[in-house]
This record gives sequence, C-alpha cells and structure tokens, in this order.
Amino acid sequence: MTLTSHPLLRALRRNPTGAVLIALQIGITLAILVNAAAIVTHAIRKMERPTGLDTRDTFAMLVGGLSKHFNVYSASSEDLAYLRHLPGVAAAGVTFGIPLTDNGGDLTVGRSPGGQGPTVTSAYLPVDRQGLRTLDVHLVAGRNFRAGEIRVLSAADPHPRIGEVIVTQALAHAVFPHRSALGQSIYLGGHTPATIIGITRNFMGPQIGGEGDVYDTVLLPEVVTQYSMYDLLVRTQPGKRDAILREATRHIGAADPNAVIGYTPTLSHAKRLMYSGLRNLAVFLSFLTVVMLALCCLGIFGLGTFNVATRTRQIGIRRALGARRRDIVALFLAENALTVAAGAIFGCVLALAIGQWLTDHDGVARLDPWYLLVGFAVLALTSQLAAWQPARRAATISPSVATRTV
Amino acid sequence: MLGYHLRMALKSLRRTPGLTLLMTAAIGLGVSACIVTLTEYHAMSSNPIWWKNSVLYAVTLDIAATNQPNNPRHPGLPPAQLTYPDATYLARSSIPQRTAIMAVAQGALDGAPDQSVAVPVETRVTTAGFFHMFDVPFKYGGPWNATADRGPQPVIVLSRRENDRLFGGADSVGRTLLWNNHRFRIVGVLDHWDPRPRFYDMTVGNFVRPEAAFIPLKWITALHMWPSGQMQCWGKGAITYSSLRGPGCIWLEMWAELPTAASRARFLALMNAYATEQRKSGRFNYPLNARLWNVGQWLRLNDAVTHDSRLLLRLAFTFLAVCLINTVAVLLAKFMGAAPLAGIRRALGASRREIIAQHLIEASLVSLAGSCLALVLTVGELQGIRALYRHTHDVYGKLAHFDPLSLLWALALTVLSTLVAGLYPAWRAGQVAPAAYLRTQ
Repeated sequence: MTLTSHPLLRALRRNPTGAVLIALQIGITLAILVNAAAIVTHAIRKMERPTGLDTRDTFAMLVGGLSKHFNVYSASSEDLAYLRHLPGVAAAGVTFGIPLTDNGGDLTVGRSPGGQGPTVTSAYLPVDRQGLRTLDVHLVAGRNFRAGEIRVLSAADPHPRIGEVIVTQALAHAVFPHRSALGQSIYLGGHTPATIIGITRNFMGPQIGGEGDVYDTVLLPEVVTQYSMYDLLVRTQPGKRDAILREATRHIGAADPNAVIGYTPTLSHAKRLMYSGLRNLAVFLSFLTVVMLALCCLGIFGLGTFNVATRTRQIGIRRALGARRRDIVALFLAENALTVAAGAIFGCVLALAIGQWLTDHDGVARLDPWYLLVGFAVLALTSQLAAWQPARRAATISPSVATRTV
Repeated sequence: MLGYHLRMALKSLRRTPGLTLLMTAAIGLGVSACIVTLTEYHAMSSNPIWWKNSVLYAVTLDIAATNQPNNPRHPGLPPAQLTYPDATYLARSSIPQRTAIMAVAQGALDGAPDQSVAVPVETRVTTAGFFHMFDVPFKYGGPWNATADRGPQPVIVLSRRENDRLFGGADSVGRTLLWNNHRFRIVGVLDHWDPRPRFYDMTVGNFVRPEAAFIPLKWITALHMWPSGQMQCWGKGAITYSSLRGPGCIWLEMWAELPTAASRARFLALMNAYATEQRKSGRFNYPLNARLWNVGQWLRLNDAVTHDSRLLLRLAFTFLAVCLINTVAVLLAKFMGAAPLAGIRRALGASRREIIAQHLIEASLVSLAGSCLALVLTVGELQGIRALYRHTHDVYGKLAHFDPLSLLWALALTVLSTLVAGLYPAWRAGQVAPAAYLRTQ
C-alpha cells in the first residue's frame, strides 16, 4: 500500500492544477448527468402514461358553418349517417372538443350547489350514445346514456337541464374520494345538477394544458348546436384510418356548400403535438449529457496518453527498479481513481445543490439519491475505462528506456 | 514576429494531433450548444415592438363573478380578456391616443378567381386602431377607418401569404371575396408581418403566425360567429349569441396606446372608476384590480420564455464551462510537457512576454478552429431541429433560424473561450525557469 500510494500522491502533487481541473470537470459532469437523468426519466414516464384511447385508428374533423342559418344538428346527423355506413368505420360520433388537444372546454364539478365546498376543474365532452364506442372506452360501473337522454342544445334552449352524466374513474375519485360515485348527485359549473350514471376507465380528454388532471373528464349527453361548428370523432378498423380520412374529407367537404372543414387531426398526431415540449427537453438534455460524458472520457483518455508520453523516463526507471507491468497499470488507474473520487464528491454536492435549486425554482421533483449512486457508478466505470488504455501503454514501456535517455 | 509565432504554434499543434482535435471538438461543441440555445432564447425573449414598449398597454380588469378562478395561471391577477360591454366602454374613452379590441374567429374564404372550394382562414376581428397601433406594414392599400368599424362595413384586410395564395401576389385592393358567404371588399394587403412572440394575443399560443385575414369586430356578432380563441363564461343558463354581448363572457383582448405617464394615470383612474361603479351595481365582486401592462411586462406575464428554454440555456453554458475546463487541462498538460522547449528558448534570449504570446497564439488557434467548427455544427443543429419538428407547430422548430446575432454570439464566445482557456496555461509556460531545463540536457 505504501509502495503505491506514496509515488501516487507525489505525482499528483507535482501537477495539482491538471488533476484539479479534471476533478472539476468530472464533478460538473456528474452533477449535470444526475439531474438530467432525473428530468428525462420523469419526462419519459409522463409521455408513457396511457392515453386510454385508440390513438392509432381515430381521427377528428372540425366542421364549421359559413352562415348563421347553418343547422349543426341536421348537418352533423347527415355526416354521421354517411360515416356509420362507410365500410371500415368502427364507430363515429359528434362532439364539441377533441381529446388530446386543448380544443375543448372545462367546467367545475362539485358536490354541492353554488360552488360551495371543494370543486374539481374538469374537461367536458358532449357525446351521443355512440360516444363511448367512438372513444373506445369501457364502463367500469353503471350504464351508457339512453336514447331519450341525449338532448340537442341550441341557442333557443335557455335553461339547460343535464340530468345524467358519465365520468372517468379519476374524476369520480377526485370528487368522491371515500365512497362510490355511482348514482351520486353533482353540480356542474356551480349550478346545474346532474347524476352520475356511469363511470369509465381513465382516458385523456380535451384541455390537456388546463389546470385539472388530464384524466378528469365528464361526458355530457348533448349535441351542441349553438356554435355553428362541430367536431366529428371517427374510429376506424385497424389500419384504415388514413384511407377513411381522405374519403370522408372529400365527401363531407363537397356535401354541403355551407360547411367548411377546419382541420382533421388524427389522435396520434395530437398526442405527438401534446408531448412535443417534453420530447424536446428530453432529446436536448440527453444529447448534451451524452456529449458531455463523452468529452469527459476523451479528456481523461487524451491527458492520460499525454502523461504517459511525458513520463516515459520515470516509468522506465520504475520498471528498471523492479516494478511489474501490473504495478504500472495499477499506479495510473489509482491516480485516475483518486482524481475521479475527488471530482465525484464535489459532483455529488453540486448535484444535490442543483437539484434543490431546480425543485425550488422550476418545480422539478426532488432528486432521488438513487440517481446519484447510479451516476457515480457510471462515471467511475467509464472514466476508469478511459484511463485503462493509456495505463496499458505505460506498462509496455521497456525498462531499458531508463538507461537509454540518461 | 507574429508569423514566427504562428509557425511555432502550428508546429506544436501538429505534434499532438489527437489533443488538438480533442480541444477543437470541445470548444466547437460547447460554443455551438450555446449559440443554438441562445438563438432560441433570444427569439423567445425578444420584444417584437420594442420601439413602442412604453406606449402600448394591455388592458385588464378583474371582472369575474364570485367562485370563479379569476386568472388560473396567475391567481390574484385579472384575466387576460374582457367582456364585450367593458371593452367597448373603455374603447370609447378619448384618453388613449388609440385603442384596439379584438378576438379571433374561424372563417372561410371563397370567391377568388380559380378557387373551387372555400378555404378555412383564421381571422382576426378587430378595430381600425389595431393596424396603426402595432405599426402593421401594408403592401397594398391600407387599414379600414373608424366609420367601417361602426357600420360595420364589409371590408377585409388580407395577410401577404393569403394574398399570394389567392391572387398570386397581385394588388387585390378593391376586389371582393366571400368571407363566410358574405361579400367583403379588400381594402388592404399586409406586407410581411410576423411579430414573435405574437404579443397582441397570447391566449392561443405565443408563437403562432398572425391571422390570414382581418375584418371589423362587429361582424362577429352581426354574422352570429363565435370566437374560436379563448372564451370563458359563467353564470346560469346556456351560452347563447346574446351572452357574447353580455357581461357574463370574457373573450376580447384590448390594447391602448398611452404615450405619456399622465395619460396612463388618467386611463387607469377611468378603469378604476368604472370598476367601482360596476361593483356598486353588484357586478364585480373582486377588489379593485385594474391593471395596464406594457409589452415587456405582458410578454413576461404570459411566459413567452418557457421554463424549458431557460433550463437549456443554463445547461448549455455549464456545458461550455466543462468544455473550457477540459481545454484548459489539456493545454496546461501540453504546455508543461513542452516546458523544456520553452526553457531552451528562454535561455536563448526569448523574453517571458514572447513565450506567453507564443502560447496564447497557440490557444487562440485552437479556439478559432473550434469556433469555425461551432458555426458548422450550429447550422447543422438548427437545420436538424427544424427537420425534427417540421410537421409540428412547435416553438423550437419555428425559432431555429440562424440569425446575424448568432454570429456575434459566436465571435464573443470565441474571444471568451480563448481568454479563459489560454491565459492560465500560457502564463504557466511563461514562468518556466530556463536553468532547470538546461541542466537535464
């Protein structure tokens, strides 16, 4: 031990600045690596949440009327009759708001009238009886809407009476945390009473950027007709989405000279858009950290190689005095390990500080110590690997070098 | 002398090609990461109408009913939009030099020559003040006047893109078009105008293009259209056309041109007086909270710069720091390795300053090469980002354009990296004592 540690410290002491710089670099890299890994993992987990929808085979179509005499109810009924008879269409419905986009509305849901007591802000989606089939979501409790329950809303309807609603499991739990929500009365928007007749498994509704949980959605038994526009939601048989989308766009665009198709997002496209910010962040962070780690290793490798070249004579003398090859390798690796250890300790402190700062300022979740451990292991391993090749080269230096240059 | 230093530096760099490559790559990567994030950050944080920053004010009032979140993003602040009665009342005031109230509506244009189907167009419904206040450039014609607002007269202004699409870029002023099956006369065509961020309405995205068409505000109610942007209503009963004009729905953005502090104070007093009066009649339940925001404040309030881009900017500079530390370490090791050479040169009569200059030039060469690499990388990276987000309406893809400022950044970062990376190693090389190295030879 004394034999190896002594010259080791001496060598480091002779050129402390170089070692300090490398340690500094390793420390910062570790700190960034750990925090970036935590942020990226969090982003990936968020993106991997199930949408609960058939994103591959569903598309939406926004249809708008060109005049105030445009009759949404008859136009959308015609479109639905056409779509439901189109071979390849699994289900179609009319709605107002598109899942996985922020194209939709929200309302407050509470247990008592007048906005008293706790309320939850939830997205809503007006649907007809085909709504659940079109969204491809199943009920976990209760029943679907009955034909008589679907109301046609219009500008002439001054007092809406909603009556029955279906909610997602997430919303049911948010409003009634301690008992079953089925059959319970709720108040929508503070005033409108309704009864929960069904609970669906979770799916992501519209209002993805809203305040509420993305899984909180209430399905209303309505056809919204007062806005001179509507959304069609179409689910096709597997693989037929794009063909049906083209066909339907052509037909519906030509069918009514008073209507114009606004846009036709597929749910997979909507999902991609919804996560583009998170994906950006994950891509940029991963890219920068990988490059940083690579640079760190290249630095260790380059400096190691250079050190071996400048210390040839010293190594030769050591060899001539009886050091074995593996002693030389051990010496260089130990030198590196010492530098890395110093850097890593600094890095851990820095990582925790950055993590704390991110928690305070950007609302990032507190850094899990596991990331520190794994980051430390990764950095230690890769840096030793980077130092390995120069150390091996040092070991090949012949003892005769010592005698030759003197 | 400079030529000699350069030759020596090149010779030294060629002696260790691996290390030279490593240092060049480190500086190149570090600088390019900074330029890319700076370019995005600069685009996000820029004020697209800075010359009128302290003249233009977004007008907000706390007008929500009780039990409704007044501004979900910023509790305690009034919402970004106004109701129709409030906005029209404030717009009638003669205190501001100009005002504009506005919303966005989905329309469809038809009736251009060679047009077979109606095309959907985002349309801004606004008042004449909009064009003057925001210094909107016109290619043909001009804005409509206040009389057209009152009518409303069927007048329309097209964006340059839309005019290119419908009329092949020809002067279309005086021709007519169908907007939602109603005949409108084209009075103006905009020149290129793409303020980023789109400060005048940040409720539907910060980096979307301005609308393709502009018509007087009153048409939205005259034609029974609905705003397609953000709208929030409360109270009992269904939302009908009449609720749009009533006090229960906020859907309008309002801006006022208030060039002097006195006019701002007077307008704010008017807003407060109006709110007090409305409170007496039982409408407003919130404490007085009328606010004016200049463009810069408005951009900050609406998070024009995202958290993510701030994070990435910090990360990029940390990355550059690591790259520079790497370069310092390598240069230092290299210069120390070549210390005997410096020793001999000192012994032969080279001054300390000359040795330092010589090594600084070597460091400068490295960072110059690194910066050239950085420029190439930056162009590539920006193109890569654009390609990556070509199909999405994403901020990053849209803002990834190499601007002249990026070049300036590159220059500044190069100088910085040379100084940071080269100074210490060069100074150390200059400290070499000649005697020590003469002895070993």
